[in-house]
Amino acid sequence: MRADRRGSWYLLTGAILGLVVGLFYSWVVSPVKYVDAPPYALRADFKNNYRVLVAAAYLYSNDLVRAEDRLAQLRDDDPAQSLAMQAQQALAAGRPEAEVRALGLLAIALGEGFTPPASSTAHSQEAIILTPGAENTTTPPGVIGTPANTILPSSTATPTPAEGASFVVGETRLACNPAQPVPLIQVEILDAAQNPVPGLELVVTWEGGEDHFFTGLKPELGLGYADFNMTPGVVYSLHLEGGEQEVDDLSAAECQAEDGSRYWGSWRLTFIQP
Amino acid sequence: MSRWTKFLVAVLLGSIIGLFYGWVVNPVEYVDIAPESLRVDYRTDYVLMVAEAYQVDKDMGLAVRRLALLGSSTPTDLVANALNYAFQHDYASQDLSLFQALGEALLTWNPNMEVPTP
Repeated sequence: MRADRRGSWYLLTGAILGLVVGLFYSWVVSPVKYVDAPPYALRADFKNNYRVLVAAAYLYSNDLVRAEDRLAQLRDDDPAQSLAMQAQQALAAGRPEAEVRALGLLAIALGEGFTPPASSTAHSQEAIILTPGAENTTTPPGVIGTPANTILPSSTATPTPAEGASFVVGETRLACNPAQPVPLIQVEILDAAQNPVPGLELVVTWEGGEDHFFTGLKPELGLGYADFNMTPGVVYSLHLEGGEQEVDDLSAAECQAEDGSRYWGSWRLTFIQP
Repeated sequence: MSRWTKFLVAVLLGSIIGLFYGWVVNPVEYVDIAPESLRVDYRTDYVLMVAEAYQVDKDMGLAVRRLALLGSSTPTDLVANALNYAFQHDYASQDLSLFQALGEALLTWNPNMEVPTP
């Protein structure tokens, strides 16, 4: 009689005990092992490594479809955007230039669905362009800046048109756009055929600082476009990596709206290949 | 059925439910895995990417560091395994050549000659 009054609680106790044992075994002692994991399960830093590797491999093969397939395994919402962001983060973190360039070029290619010129690739060697041998003297009609006006482009064959020394400053002007109140240095780089050139590195320097940025990382604004945020009061100099021509004395300048209010303008520079 | 028997049956049922929940319904998720846990075809493609990248930068130190993420096997073993898999699964001859080129470069590579990267 006394035993019966204990009821059936022991069954619940047993079930809970068994549940705990089962969970302990399945979660701790012998958890599910993912030995055949897909790339999207990689840790974030490994995903970054994976993207770099896909981009580096793309530089060799120029096979955009293969690169897209590989990136699809990471299940990024927007692979081109992920690459562009990683390129900018890599640049900010001082990662090797080759890595930044590879990421940027693949981001551009994905954004536009084409294959941009990639230097030092085995397959891009076919895209050899001869730069003019004649001495070029240019006088930029810029409002500011005192660039060296004479450049001597190489007369030998170069693998790509992306040689900084072969571009000259074509225009420098203050662009006033009330919808763009943040002061920028906006750069547009065009080749000799007036086509935008992505993947070129620009170096901006100021007293006590230096930064690098690339064309083409904002493909929605043009493949040859790049911009840099200026801090008001700071004077900047700008040149193409490897280029001889430098634009000096760039600083945030004000524009005036029709109602008399003032806002920051942006310096718009165009580099062209003669 | 004795009380003890019923108790043990309850424990057993609870264990089964626990295992089912832990293995099927809500298993441990490895969302932050390392490349060494990749499936063999992805591992092979990873090695292929390393081989392709090596053709561009010719940096064997970098290639070895990339391969090291695939586990503790030696780089030559990793490339050999990838080449085996690629051969068995009819990869393009161009890809097979890349594996071979990387494998051969690894055999002649002397890590002591590497210039340390800052």
